[in-house]
Amino acid sequence: MSEEKRNPNVELVKSQFVEGKMDRREFLRLATLMGLSASAAYAFAGKVTGEGFIAPARAQGAMPKGGVLRIGSRIKDIKSPHTYSWGAWDSNISRQVCEYLTLTDEKNVTHPYLLEKWDASPDLKTWTLHIRRKVKWRDGKPLTADEVIWNLKQCLDPAVGSSVIGLMKGYLLEEYDTGQKDEKGNAKKSTRLWDANAIQKVDDFTVRLNCKAPQVAVPEHLFHYPLAILHPDDKGVFQAGAMGTGAFELTGYELGKKAVLKARKGYWGDGPHLDGIEFSDMGDDPSAAISAMASKQVHGLVGADPVQYDALKALKGVEMYQVATAETAVLRVKVSEKPFNDPRVRKALRLAVDSKKIVEVALRGLGLPGEHHHVAQAQPDYAKLKPMPRDVAAAKKLLAEAGLPNGFDTEIFVPKDPPWNGAESQAAIEQWKEAGIRVKLSIMPGQEYWDVWTKVPFGCTIWYHRPLGVMLLGLAYRTGVPWNETGFSNAEFDKVLGEAEGTLDVEKRKRLMARLEEIMQEDGPIVQPLWRNNFTFYDRKVKGFTMHPTNYIFGNRLALEA
Amino acid sequence: MASFLLKRLVGLALTLVAASFLVFSVTEFSPGNVARKTLGPYALQEQVDLLYKRLHLDDPLLVRYARWLGVLVGAIDDPLQDPVLKLNFEDPRGKRYFGNFGYSTLFKSPVNDVLWDRVEHTALLAGIAFALIVPLSLLAGILAGMREGSRLDRAISFLGIVFTSIPEFASGVFLTAIFVVGLAWLPGTSPMERGAGWSLAAQLVLPVTVLVLYDSGYVARMVRGSMAEVMNKPYVRTAILKGLPRREVIIRHAVRNAMIAPFTVILLQINFLISGVVVTEMVFAYPGFGRMLLEASLFGDISLIEAATLIALIVAMTTQLLSDLGYMLLNPQIRLA
Repeated sequence: MSEEKRNPNVELVKSQFVEGKMDRREFLRLATLMGLSASAAYAFAGKVTGEGFIAPARAQGAMPKGGVLRIGSRIKDIKSPHTYSWGAWDSNISRQVCEYLTLTDEKNVTHPYLLEKWDASPDLKTWTLHIRRKVKWRDGKPLTADEVIWNLKQCLDPAVGSSVIGLMKGYLLEEYDTGQKDEKGNAKKSTRLWDANAIQKVDDFTVRLNCKAPQVAVPEHLFHYPLAILHPDDKGVFQAGAMGTGAFELTGYELGKKAVLKARKGYWGDGPHLDGIEFSDMGDDPSAAISAMASKQVHGLVGADPVQYDALKALKGVEMYQVATAETAVLRVKVSEKPFNDPRVRKALRLAVDSKKIVEVALRGLGLPGEHHHVAQAQPDYAKLKPMPRDVAAAKKLLAEAGLPNGFDTEIFVPKDPPWNGAESQAAIEQWKEAGIRVKLSIMPGQEYWDVWTKVPFGCTIWYHRPLGVMLLGLAYRTGVPWNETGFSNAEFDKVLGEAEGTLDVEKRKRLMARLEEIMQEDGPIVQPLWRNNFTFYDRKVKGFTMHPTNYIFGNRLALEA
Repeated sequence: MASFLLKRLVGLALTLVAASFLVFSVTEFSPGNVARKTLGPYALQEQVDLLYKRLHLDDPLLVRYARWLGVLVGAIDDPLQDPVLKLNFEDPRGKRYFGNFGYSTLFKSPVNDVLWDRVEHTALLAGIAFALIVPLSLLAGILAGMREGSRLDRAISFLGIVFTSIPEFASGVFLTAIFVVGLAWLPGTSPMERGAGWSLAAQLVLPVTVLVLYDSGYVARMVRGSMAEVMNKPYVRTAILKGLPRREVIIRHAVRNAMIAPFTVILLQINFLISGVVVTEMVFAYPGFGRMLLEASLFGDISLIEAATLIALIVAMTTQLLSDLGYMLLNPQIRLA
């Protein structure tokens, strides 16, 4: 009997899909998370829906060989992958060398990658990770459980400072009192594995995660960009010559200038087709990237901004790629500050904006309207609510009830980069005027904003794509978590969110998600008018490219026509 | 002469100390926390606070300035290289040596590794631009000033005003639209890397052109003004009336005297070309000194800002000194105390 059949959750997911309780996309995600292989999941979905078997196309056979692919990017610091904070800029260089245990593709389906497969126990508390035996480091030695465990423990060590802690704290860590006091005399707390056996070596190629709470999304968390699998001998430092299991080796790197990767022989997976990849820094001026594309100095860009859209589209010989994402910028208030401490004022802010128009103005239509609850249509756990259209009269009424019949004056702080954040805020400001909400726009340099992003009473904060709505809600709105920039605290929200994170039954989870979204719309601290489509442009000579919602590039799949 | 030079050198040293302290004080008031910037936007506040303390950023300004000066002259270790900070900052030259500008928190490298490469790039760009700007603007200015009010004068003056009035970012975009997008003759950016099929020389054409257009119009008008003034001087009139050939009058009498005033202006262009070419470097993604200084300032990278400021000052004061010496050569009557 196969593992997948032994796990009753696979059968539960299958039956719910057959009964039409979940759509194909959600079935694929959940079935693969429960350990069903992607091809088996796609085949089953094909049988049920009557559609042909359409696994993600990876037409590798006819790929041209050779050539160096040049990509326009920002060359940020890449020394410490476990503490990366930029995602696309830094991890796109290191991910060509140091790979991940899993891979969440552009359709939100998570596949085993350095893992051969995984098994989840029926209670979703025990996850067994089977390492792919053919995976080899560049020196020809196999990837083993010891190395995987070293990476997991490194990321979960509070002294390292990895954001992986935020994702795995709920099921692999516990808080404890360090016995020390801070300056104010409060007890200093830290985190540690909740049990000595929480990360267990079963054999040389098998690792088991023994969790303290059920968790559906473990394989997705293993693809979080700081969780790159580094060789322990490199001591957490990524630099030229660093060991990796990937198809390329980093041979040159200069911060702010370039990163050079050379294809290596004996890669365990498909490809590479290229001889190398070079990332070049394009600087802050958006016109530089356009010029570089026009003169073929680069074949493509990691990502493009709406301000570059028209010029890039007008270039000859380039192809546009785009994907709907859960990337957004929330116009968020601090719930402890007046007048935002009144939920009616917060709701009035939401009611006074027309999301569709803001998408047109700020993103040139390259996105979808948001619904003010920070769960995206692109995420499988999205629950559809009744539309929340612009209603200026209702907004005014709420303000009057809150004791502000003449509206109020306030100021919003917005980072300069990316430019669409300013455009979004400006569009909202124009719409708020009609409801009597007079907002002054204060644009500040990005670096400066990140110094105060959890402190300003009213600000505009970008949130990048996450495969799941619960991941975003848990990171940003759960009471007391480090990235809860608004200070939002709602006991019912926390309770329902906890339930949703550990619930596999789709119908039940949809109900829970709908409730979370309703709470956000009624009581939440954000105005969220848009979801951004990520898009970029590549030379038509580049083959095998697909746009990932987080701009990730998988160099081993890419090829260059002569 | 020797005492003049000595005085100037002492003045240079004092100015450098005063300016470095001023820069240190000004960055004190710039918003943002270096510890936060070093760790990135998503680092937890407690991590930021920890680094802030370990870097002694809460020490008084004078203490931190003295520490920076101590590192520069090689008297004390660079605190950022302390392994306890776990920043992996390491300078192959050691922790203590003369000329240690410290560690750049923006580029995560010793300032000496970041700085000189960029200075070289900008010096190359500036050198080529200067070598073109001087003869071009002199020729145009002299031709125009020689016959004030002539058609040639009007045409040169008009073009000079037009080129000077177009900001660099605009001429950069115009030239890119024509020569990169339209004709595909030139590369659109200048990363100064071979490999994309464009030579380094080709990569320099557009940034140099933008600088030459912008700057030579201005210098040419300065030269023209001075030349026109000299041409109306009695001694020039006398030379013409006594029957000297016009060519000789202009070369021997007019040009030399007409150069005194524009000489300073021309030398000042070196300052502009070293530290004022930010816009051109941004538009063409040129890895130069100006772009680096802008990025360092926005980031609050104090070590890099200090080093860059000192270099810009040394260049400015050296050109000033050269201009004073040049005055003495051009006009021995001028005696500078």
